[in-house]
Amino acid sequence: MDNVTTDQAAIRPIDAPSAVVRRSPATALSARGEPFMWALGAALTIGIVMVIGFLLFVFWNGLVTFIPKPVAVVTLRSGAMVAGEPTRPELYRLSPDAIKALPPAEAAKVAVNGGYGHRTLYRIGNYDLYNEDFRWVSDHDVDKIDYPEEMVFIERLEWGVFVGRIRSVKIGDRDLANPTPKDPALVAAHKEARARWQTIRRIERDLIGRVNHDLEVLRLDVRRAEIKHGPASTQAEKARLAEAAQIPSLKSEYDRLTGEAVRLNSIAQLNTVTLADVTGKEKVLPLSSLVRFYPANNLSFFDKVSIYLSRWGEFLSAEPREANTEGGVLPAIFGTVAMTLLMVLVVAPMGVITALYLREYAKQGRLVSIVRISVNNLAGVPSIVYGVFGLGFFAYGIGAHIDDLFFPERLPAPTFGTGGILWSALTLALLTVPVVIVATEEALSAVPRSMREGSLACGASKWQTIKNIVLPRAMPGIMTGIILAMARGAGEVAPLMLVGVVKLAPTLPFDGYFPFVHLERSFMHLGFHIYDVGFQSRNSEAGKPMVFVTTCLLIAVITFLNLAAIVIRSRLKRQFAGNQF
Amino acid sequence: MSEVVDAPVKPAFEPASLHPMRGEDGEIIQIRQFNLWYGASQALFDNNFSIERGLVTALIGPSGCGKSTLLRCFNRMNDLIDNLRVTGKIVLDNADIFAPNIDVIALRKRMGMVFQKPNPFPMSIYENVVYPLRIDGVRSKSRLDETCERALKDAGLWDEAKDRLESSALGLSGGQQQRLCIARAIAGDPEVLLLDEPCSALDPIATAKIEELIDELRGKYTVIIVTHNMQQAVRVSDNTAFMYLGRLIEYGDTNTVFENPQRPRTHDYVTGRFG
Repeated sequence: MDNVTTDQAAIRPIDAPSAVVRRSPATALSARGEPFMWALGAALTIGIVMVIGFLLFVFWNGLVTFIPKPVAVVTLRSGAMVAGEPTRPELYRLSPDAIKALPPAEAAKVAVNGGYGHRTLYRIGNYDLYNEDFRWVSDHDVDKIDYPEEMVFIERLEWGVFVGRIRSVKIGDRDLANPTPKDPALVAAHKEARARWQTIRRIERDLIGRVNHDLEVLRLDVRRAEIKHGPASTQAEKARLAEAAQIPSLKSEYDRLTGEAVRLNSIAQLNTVTLADVTGKEKVLPLSSLVRFYPANNLSFFDKVSIYLSRWGEFLSAEPREANTEGGVLPAIFGTVAMTLLMVLVVAPMGVITALYLREYAKQGRLVSIVRISVNNLAGVPSIVYGVFGLGFFAYGIGAHIDDLFFPERLPAPTFGTGGILWSALTLALLTVPVVIVATEEALSAVPRSMREGSLACGASKWQTIKNIVLPRAMPGIMTGIILAMARGAGEVAPLMLVGVVKLAPTLPFDGYFPFVHLERSFMHLGFHIYDVGFQSRNSEAGKPMVFVTTCLLIAVITFLNLAAIVIRSRLKRQFAGNQF
Repeated sequence: MSEVVDAPVKPAFEPASLHPMRGEDGEIIQIRQFNLWYGASQALFDNNFSIERGLVTALIGPSGCGKSTLLRCFNRMNDLIDNLRVTGKIVLDNADIFAPNIDVIALRKRMGMVFQKPNPFPMSIYENVVYPLRIDGVRSKSRLDETCERALKDAGLWDEAKDRLESSALGLSGGQQQRLCIARAIAGDPEVLLLDEPCSALDPIATAKIEELIDELRGKYTVIIVTHNMQQAVRVSDNTAFMYLGRLIEYGDTNTVFENPQRPRTHDYVTGRFG
């Protein structure tokens, strides 16, 4: 019987029509799966477009912020003058009263536009003179717009930017009348004044700070001896004597430094610049308070590039000023990176050890399932809840006890008993540990059974097998978990606001004072910086460009951290590349 | 997990007595009344036979007959499986390997094992071979080098691998990887070598090399090989055990088992009637 069918199949011509079941075109299409494939493609495209669009939007806005713009001088029909950088145009609806007040020709134009008119936002600066930084100017109010070459754009230490002209400069007993911003004498004097300002700052912050630190250490020594041995004890007496012996020299050092600062300040006061706004209102400022100034309408391409780069340089390497809306974000970059790395140091061992126990040692049963589900649910808890927990448990709980045990002399000022970079890192480690656990468990279970058996058959114990074979093999997967945790942690802001991030941290968590690492200190964070500049500053319009620049930078920092981890992971992966069949 | 019932040895029949044995140094492993259950289902029934020292013993039989299960009992790799239960004894040098006081790690060090698929570790060739010494904490470079060279030579891989000891073992071909696994198994200086279908994932040329190697290992180690390939059993083994549905059907000298089997089922199997 079998032979017969085989023969029949053999003699049938290859192209003979066979009885194929015909499908309707619609069924055939869905059977081949094309509509589903198109849907997948469309979903992917939407995702990619959204991500790229977002990145382009942020980066474009961030990158153009520091380009110097021209300063327009607008003469209004009323005769008033407004000078400033044109920021953005807008279409707006005029109120009926405003339309009535317009000349008939303009009113007709507005009527054609359906009651809408154009207006432009100018960054006029001079907050100390006008009490506003930005002003809307309606197009129908404008008589003419000029770009005079002598208009100067000035960034100052206080009161934001100044837009106007330089009337005169006093350098010591020499006067320069109507100097151009590129006048070599002015540039040299400014450079010198800035150097002097830096020196004063260094004296006030670093040198006097050192003296204050030494005084504080002596005071704490006395206090510690008093707490430990009683106020009347010989140890306390000894500490008091040591303090008394050193105080005079420290005091005289303090006076010397203060005197030096006062002397430099008085020199600084001799070098002043007289500025005038577009209407001629004058303002006298010390030369040292000008950060940067340039003739906005008279810049060569090279000038523009150098101003652009110098602004980026300041942004990346300086401390913030003007309530964070100007200056740099170095402490925030530093805080973000330090906190994230500290978090990884905590979360990586914690997550990996937990996953190792759950996957390799724990008896798989209902209890382990419950633990696993709970861990996964932890990932869904709102992050602010972690913040509250971190504050209550770490700062006020553990931190307060640490203070009682180790730093009683500093009380009532808390040391660890308040938010700090350590508590922030621990809080975020808790927040991100589920990610690491899940990824590690996946990676461990993906290690081939044959590897484990090979090791066990060699006489390795379970732990030796895990250490030598399983963990190295699972490492790329574990790294993926750590990368995800890092990305999540570096971008988190809400819990940090409760456990250690501040608007302005006067000192970094690392400095030259023993023990050099101060994990109890509060710190600045780029994510919080964005929130602060964008929503908590005096003028949100002034903060907007900084929001974009800082967002740009935050994305860049997170990308950089992740890239570093990805490079490490691909190195690990290369070890396992081979023909495994 | 292991439940040892110290029952008096009273086999249903004594397969070992069917054929004369050739071992000169006596028996190394005695399997007595050995039963094994995976949960509720019994996989091995009442096995009784002995493995002779220094010879190559082949375990043959159709799929699911329990030959791999039995092989994995010798070094207790079955410990990894939950719900496993055994009765009877497997005795190695007068000690029951399922006794509660047995040191499993020491036991496994006496038994090198090679698996169906080559499973080199993702490390260098050198590190793969000296792995059993590394886990023993051997630091001496000269001893490691010496062991590496001896094991690779014994495994017939030295000439191919001596210039690339530091390169990844995953870059070797399948046959080389399997010989590397044999080298790794003998680097720890075991007495018994357990081979679990070592050629099933290899091409004929690599298979021939492994078989040649097994031939050279005869006398130095006691080799127990599980194989599906009856020709292979004929070529490499001294003794053959034929198993069927968890029972030992026939055991004895390989030539006799294949040419003059005493049991009809063995005859059917070795002549290709079933299996």
